[in-house]
Amino acid sequence: MSYILQILPQILEGLGVTLGTFAVTLVISIPIGGLIALCRVSKIRILRWISGFYTWVLRGTPLLLQMFLIFFGLPAVGVRLFGRTRLPYVFFAFIINYAAYFAEIFRSGIQSVEKGQIEAAKLLGFKSAQINLKIVMPQVIKRTLPSIGNEIITLIKDTSLVYALGITEIFKIAKSISTRDVTLTPYIVVGVIYLILTAVITKLLNRAEKKVYYEE
Amino acid sequence: MLLEVRGLYKAFKGNQVLSDINFDVAEGEIVSLLGQSGAGKTTILRCITGLERPDQGSIFVNGRAMCEQKDGRPCFASKQELYNIRQDMGMVFQSYHLFPHMTVLKNVTLALTDVHKIPAAKAREMALNMLETLGLSDKADSHPYELSGGQKQRVAIARSCVTNPKLLCFDEPTAALDPQTTQEMTRIIRSLAAEGMGILIISHDMPFVQAVSDRVLTVENGKIKQSA
Repeated sequence: MSYILQILPQILEGLGVTLGTFAVTLVISIPIGGLIALCRVSKIRILRWISGFYTWVLRGTPLLLQMFLIFFGLPAVGVRLFGRTRLPYVFFAFIINYAAYFAEIFRSGIQSVEKGQIEAAKLLGFKSAQINLKIVMPQVIKRTLPSIGNEIITLIKDTSLVYALGITEIFKIAKSISTRDVTLTPYIVVGVIYLILTAVITKLLNRAEKKVYYEE
Repeated sequence: MLLEVRGLYKAFKGNQVLSDINFDVAEGEIVSLLGQSGAGKTTILRCITGLERPDQGSIFVNGRAMCEQKDGRPCFASKQELYNIRQDMGMVFQSYHLFPHMTVLKNVTLALTDVHKIPAAKAREMALNMLETLGLSDKADSHPYELSGGQKQRVAIARSCVTNPKLLCFDEPTAALDPQTTQEMTRIIRSLAAEGMGILIISHDMPFVQAVSDRVLTVENGKIKQSA
């Protein structure tokens, strides 16, 4: 127990990067995913094609591979999007990957809204943007929230992949301590931290689901 | 004339659905298109409301051209014009298509506040009056799932009528109603027409259509067969 208390502060030093990656990815990739989903169901063929290709590539290759290509590959060919700061490259990789997953969830949600409701709204005089905002979006949010929640839980655990890039977050710290002290205890501590994080998120998601719920 | 339909033709993938449809609806008149399913009635309605484009023909709503046959081909209303024309018409769908995430009141006020830019308090008052006329006062705060088929239909009527359209279209209004509710519907449609609204009904329910309409047109194989 005293050993755990001794290593805990060290591990928690990495919590900022873990939570930062999680929060930045979530906040930016959800709206981007929404836009890609709108492209996926657009009347304009080229938008459908590009967004379809995007989701195919980003969902069809491992996140780790995408992280390596963006983190090492882009600077190697002279593309330094974010200068020499390292974290933004990580955020970028996570955002484009998660946006693809969110886009597919939103697409299925959009297509689940009855076409007749949209026609009824058109006849009432609503413009497309109003229909998307007032009629389609609330129903999409309600219907996709459980799947979105699933992705959010996966995301908090996926942040551990960042260690492979040599960036310090809770998993990497645990690994170093484990090697130094020849014990698996740090991994258990990290496991419990992930469990606590997912428990909090699950609680919040359940509350959100209750809030947007209505009978159909 | 409120609605004029002239020489309407429409084919889907080589299958001729409508050929040479002509008819009118005047102010305060109740006109029904009677026919079996597959006769082309719904397609006529979809052309009139601009949800479908005819291959040929002219449609005028309150004098404005939804589409007009010019030099041998139809010219369609611009987006803005379509928007204007739709201010003059309402439509009650067969499956109502209420917005399930909103209360009955919100279903009725949304077009008033968001399309017609009427202040919320005034819109609420207009909607509550409309609901009262249709006997739905106690349902204002209910959600669509809590309503029976007949109640949902009356909400759909309230939603369409609250903006005071000149022409109101009904797609199979009695398909899901019991005889008593059908009678109630006859009374409601009559009272709307009495206020000067033009009503176009498509239906396969002959007794209802004969009871409610001023004129009945029979649609068969995409043609209007007779006027009765």
